Amino acid sequence: MTADHELDPLVRHAAEALRRPVAPGPGFDTRVLAAVRAEPARGGPIDWLLRPRPLRLAPIAAVGGVLAVAAVAVLGSWAMLRGGPGRPAAVVAAAQPVRFVVAVPEAHTVALVGTFNDWDPAATPLRAGPSAGVWVVEVPLAPGRHEYAFVVDGERWLPDPAAPAAADDFGASNSVVTVPGSS
Amino acid sequence: MTEVTDGVAVARVLAGDVNAFALLVARHRDRGFRYALHLLGNTQDAEDALQESFLRAFRALRRCREPERFDAWFFRILVNRCRTGGARRKTLEGRELLDPEGQHAGRVESRADGFAWHDAIARALAELPPDQREAFLLRHVEDVSYEEMSVLTGAGVSALKMRVKRACDTLRDRLKDEVPE
Repeated sequence: MTADHELDPLVRHAAEALRRPVAPGPGFDTRVLAAVRAEPARGGPIDWLLRPRPLRLAPIAAVGGVLAVAAVAVLGSWAMLRGGPGRPAAVVAAAQPVRFVVAVPEAHTVALVGTFNDWDPAATPLRAGPSAGVWVVEVPLAPGRHEYAFVVDGERWLPDPAAPAAADDFGASNSVVTVPGSS
Repeated sequence: MTEVTDGVAVARVLAGDVNAFALLVARHRDRGFRYALHLLGNTQDAEDALQESFLRAFRALRRCREPERFDAWFFRILVNRCRTGGARRKTLEGRELLDPEGQHAGRVESRADGFAWHDAIARALAELPPDQREAFLLRHVEDVSYEEMSVLTGAGVSALKMRVKRACDTLRDRLKDEVPE
């Protein structure tokens, strides 16, 4: 329900004008569908391999974790040589594991959101780290600049205090990580 | 005839039926365009943001955990894409009139009055700081609750209420001499 009762009549009139339907120009749907059809094939093993997901590296399993990361790198190299279905080989080769750590002692859950997971709070949960109140996750990221933030208990967004802040006109406090390498 | 729900359309796309994505585009395009147009201020930027958002949604469709609520999920992608675009652009010069063809103005006002009124709204919106414009559009044009806005933007509810209030105050001041007959 629109909160029109909160509004000054003049502002309400403006809001009504802004609610009127508008539509993109002719051919928009066709362009979107053409772009979608140009996307690489989906759903195969390479797609699964490339899908961002947390790499869980508990301290006890650190050696195994390193081996797992190495395995991903090896598999990535294999995929690059083999070539995915329509996907540029460089993308497969370029993803690098990046570790995110944040101290939020009072949190019950912490998630990582960013340009790499469409800001989805459910996509990349952090796990409790070895020290109390410290949360950790490691994700493979392609080279380039990525904006991100942490979401505490599903509602409070928190910038990374250890990272540069993104310039943003929207009052947001996203952070920036830059993964080296050619994208 | 049974309506194909968003959930069914999403399932079809994930099963390989790319054409089913056309249904999602057709269904959610206009609201998305309206939001992007009012926030970014011109048709080209709005269409670019919308197209890129649909493409991102297509790529990430497997992560859409509630396919029946594709609209909310997609809108979150669009809001973030508009923020990135707006921040990148920094300035909002060249804003277009909200109703350049006067296609809607004739309904309630004379064309000339409607044109001037829509122009005044566009100029007043352009003068708002981006965070206030975003908050005003989400709350009073797109009818998003403060709780949902908080999830979309990452800002707290009290901060969002303040942004909306300031936006309303500014709009009222800017528009008080522009009231249509």
